[in-house]
Amino acid sequence: MNDTTQQQVFDIIAKQAKIDVATIKPESTLKDLGIESLEAIEVIFDIEEHFNITFPDQQGANFDSDTAQSLVDAVQTALDEKAAAGEGSK
Amino acid sequence: MPTVPQMRRVVITGMGAISPLGVGAEALWQGLREGRSAIGPLRHPDAHRLRVKVAAQVPDSFDPTANIEERTLIMLDRTSEFALHAAREAIAQSGLDFSQNDLGVRTAVVVGTGVGGENTQDEQSKRLYADNSPRAHPLTIVRVMTNASASQISIAYGLRGPTFAVASACASANHAIIQAAQMIRYGMADAAVAGGTEACLTYGALRAWEAMRVLADDTCRPFSINRRGLVLGEGAGIFVLELLEHAQARGAVILAEVAGVGMTADASDIVMPSTVGAAAAMTQALADAGLAPEDVDYINAHGTGTQANDSTETKAIRLAFGAHADRLAVSSTKSMHGHALGASGALELVAVIGALRDSAVPPTANLDQVDPACDLDYVPNVGREMPVRAALSNSFAFGGLNAVLALKRAP
Repeated sequence: MNDTTQQQVFDIIAKQAKIDVATIKPESTLKDLGIESLEAIEVIFDIEEHFNITFPDQQGANFDSDTAQSLVDAVQTALDEKAAAGEGSK
Repeated sequence: MPTVPQMRRVVITGMGAISPLGVGAEALWQGLREGRSAIGPLRHPDAHRLRVKVAAQVPDSFDPTANIEERTLIMLDRTSEFALHAAREAIAQSGLDFSQNDLGVRTAVVVGTGVGGENTQDEQSKRLYADNSPRAHPLTIVRVMTNASASQISIAYGLRGPTFAVASACASANHAIIQAAQMIRYGMADAAVAGGTEACLTYGALRAWEAMRVLADDTCRPFSINRRGLVLGEGAGIFVLELLEHAQARGAVILAEVAGVGMTADASDIVMPSTVGAAAAMTQALADAGLAPEDVDYINAHGTGTQANDSTETKAIRLAFGAHADRLAVSSTKSMHGHALGASGALELVAVIGALRDSAVPPTANLDQVDPACDLDYVPNVGREMPVRAALSNSFAFGGLNAVLALKRAP
């Protein structure tokens, strides 16, 4: 796992939750960090904007219950897919 | 809710609809009764680049120009086209002639819409920001304004009583119908043309809905454990409301009675629904109608198909109805006509009137896996022939705004 990706995702979460980034653990859920409902969707939006990626839809799940690590993993997957698609088109 | 002494009673003598199930209130009702879903692949010029895959759209067989003069047509956003056609159907069915006995002066118009002229707004924004045109169309304002539908109906039929729009997102239509009914009850009008309209499947609005991540990518499955969100719809439902004595004096065919109303706000989260707020609106509507829980046979649920709504609404129905909740038929017709936002309560009122009139409850389509958190009788997949003495129609909006109608069979 790319530490840089993790650091960037954690920074976005910390900014939304208005908390010290050091308090975020990989297993923390957004809800644990005080991020619920619309704020969680804002975090998703901020991450998508920052990395220029689009997360797949996740109906039926609550983003509130996502862990910080699962978001980092999702970003990495999306970045890998984007890279692969970029190579494929060359 | 305060009750006025010797309350004037309000009945419905006309209904009209433009919906994903077709042109006309009967097309909508017959489709719902038979459990036919109008949800299908999104038809939109930008569909290829949108994540939204499905919608419930008014079919192309709807001809907005039919019997409308050119000089009126150019004034209309799609929202007002729907409303004007639905109003014409409702008024024709009612048989009212507003030019007689100054009835037009005693007739109100109240139309709910969530966003108003969204297609015009989107089109003109594209022109300015994407195409760099230096000018907007001169009729942009009169097409976009949220009161355009109410005003166009007023102008078309010479209706000079209280006329305005009501906006409360997904509860707009119910709030509008309530305002109209209350004006008749309190003597401010003898008749009203009221309902809701919405046409907001634009690129901009669809992108905004995508970002909220509440849209299903397959279909709308209210109360089913595999539900994946709501499916956007569009359309209009417009009704003629009339003082009972007025309708009886002219021998009108009465479709149903608007017996009671309930309105509350959750005053909590901007999007997450509240059991207490929703239940309070239902309880108010029952009390206002003089109905005991046992008098009600059917509830047309808000039933959006989101995780949050369907379990919360189930708890709210239990809270409002107690033990009788287990004997109610509850269905979400959004599984078939989609979520038409500011028009949804109006499309659903067509279903409730049909249920009362024809003793037939429409089903909840696509309910194939029971959710333990949704434990009422949702009339899954197949409609049911059963007598319906009284019914509620629930609308709960983003913003925490709840509006419930209590309807009775025609007296």
